[in-house]
Amino acid sequence: MLKRRLGDVTRRIGQAILVIVGSTFLLSLLLRLLPVGLEEIYAGGFDESSRLARLKELRLDKDPITFYLLWLRDFVSGDFGPLVSPGGGVQPVSERVAIALPVSLQLIAYTQLVSLIVAIPLGIFTAYRSGRRSDRVLSYGLFTAASIPNFVFGLLMAVFFGVTLAILPPLGYVSPSVDPVEHVRSMILPVAALAIPLIATYTRLLRTDVIATLREDYVTMAVSKGLSNKRILFSHVLRPSSVTLFTSFALNMGALIGGTLVIEQVFTIPGLGSEIGSAIFARQFFALQSYVAIIAVGFIFFNTLADILVGFIDPRTRERRNA
Amino acid sequence: MRKALKQMDKFTKTCVGWMILMVLFAAVGPLLPLPDPREADFESLGASIFSPGHILGTDSNGYDLLSNVVNGARTSLMIAFVSVVIGGTIGSTIGILSAYFRGRLDYFINTLFNIILSIPNLVLSLALVAILATSADPTIPTSPNRRVYVILISLTFVIIPILGRIARGATLTWINREFVLAARSMGMKDRHIILRHIVPNVLPAIYSVGFLAIGVVIVAEGSLSLLGVGVVDGVSWGAMIARVAGEFTFTPQSMYVPVTVLALTVIASNQIGDYLRSRLDLREGKI
Repeated sequence: MLKRRLGDVTRRIGQAILVIVGSTFLLSLLLRLLPVGLEEIYAGGFDESSRLARLKELRLDKDPITFYLLWLRDFVSGDFGPLVSPGGGVQPVSERVAIALPVSLQLIAYTQLVSLIVAIPLGIFTAYRSGRRSDRVLSYGLFTAASIPNFVFGLLMAVFFGVTLAILPPLGYVSPSVDPVEHVRSMILPVAALAIPLIATYTRLLRTDVIATLREDYVTMAVSKGLSNKRILFSHVLRPSSVTLFTSFALNMGALIGGTLVIEQVFTIPGLGSEIGSAIFARQFFALQSYVAIIAVGFIFFNTLADILVGFIDPRTRERRNA
Repeated sequence: MRKALKQMDKFTKTCVGWMILMVLFAAVGPLLPLPDPREADFESLGASIFSPGHILGTDSNGYDLLSNVVNGARTSLMIAFVSVVIGGTIGSTIGILSAYFRGRLDYFINTLFNIILSIPNLVLSLALVAILATSADPTIPTSPNRRVYVILISLTFVIIPILGRIARGATLTWINREFVLAARSMGMKDRHIILRHIVPNVLPAIYSVGFLAIGVVIVAEGSLSLLGVGVVDGVSWGAMIARVAGEFTFTPQSMYVPVTVLALTVIASNQIGDYLRSRLDLREGKI
């Protein structure tokens, strides 16, 4: 049994590595699609000898596959390529990532935390009151909220709380080591903008699963044993109902990395999204390649993790899959 | 339950109505008696809603907001419909054929879909647009027309694996059904089996996800604009939002209009997709 499960896990990890290699190779090939050509961008006005040296330095003299393999070797060892300035200077991208990535991860962590804290009680409540007026109103509201893009909430809240009421900073980011209070204040609006659609998604998923679980025999058993509703809902129903929620939680870790791009831009937060934006404007395509690769790796990592862990939360899916 | 269904219908009807209105705007926008969307009215900069001459007001450049919404529908919906229709057609053709013939090619195509889907769709389209829209001379900005084409190509590429995987999954559930086996054992040609038996059954799933994809593309267009690589100087909802986003501290009210229109359109297309899906499930349940 255990051996089989381990085999399952290894196979899943193997698949993930295949997908990571495939997607980073695809990104590497994308650079060759540039209508201008990297040589012209990075070694345009150079004389012949320094031009060749520059091409060699940037590995543009290699064929696409060698170029990719060398890039992959660097990427795995934590070297994310150069930021090339027009004059010829080179700055490592890893320095920028070391500053920007923690900011984005902070934003994602806060968002997920807030979403779960709100969505779990809300999901259980709407399931428990399923079909009643309070459930209907909430469910319709949530359906609508789930389809509204997060930047709409972000912009509306920035205008309303930041400008009209002027009670929260409409943009900017303060590091927690500089001023913890201002840090929290500056994160409220972006986190709320990212969390509202997520809360809606999580609540709907949990509601559906809790309703299904409430029909199970062991819930009837628990009721007839005389357990309190609260006890039943939180200790008997929540765990078996949280599989879809958990999967969606992990999938959204990846999706949020994409979602934070826009929110970071709207609230001028110096995270990975802002780095990608400035890389595009400054034509830093090597940096862009690494940033997108980091996002793809994170996305695949969390998807795989979700897939593996779901089996541990609900043994029933494990048995079903092995059968 | 019946009551809920009735309410649902009303909501869906409203959504369909809104979609039709937006499509009408896109179709006849330039014929309506509205000011030019790119013509600044310096007499009324940042006018509020219901001001004379500008029903929805103007932004801080003096552009009429209603005119921009109506004419922006053309660009935004055109991008959405064209990329979903082309990407959906290519994707579902690949998905259906791959699932029907199985084998090594199917494994390869499925892996390829997974690889493309492993990059979040906004990030992938951002990278594609950034790379394809790069002009040779950094001092000359890329023209709005070229930007529209680049965005179309990028979003079409993003849609292909989304709908391709749906079509592949749906086909896999149908190819082992009795009527397909019967057709095959009677010696029907693969081409006829696919066209007569597979496609009609797979199509509803594709339609419903297609509507959801339209919402995704409209959001992507807005997001790309906010990230500075959208139809920057053109007339689109994304461009409107991006313009006010930089200066909403001065004219906050001009933010509400484009953002509301975009959100309502996304809600409408999601609701239509969801409704189609629930109708689909119901029929499945009856069988």
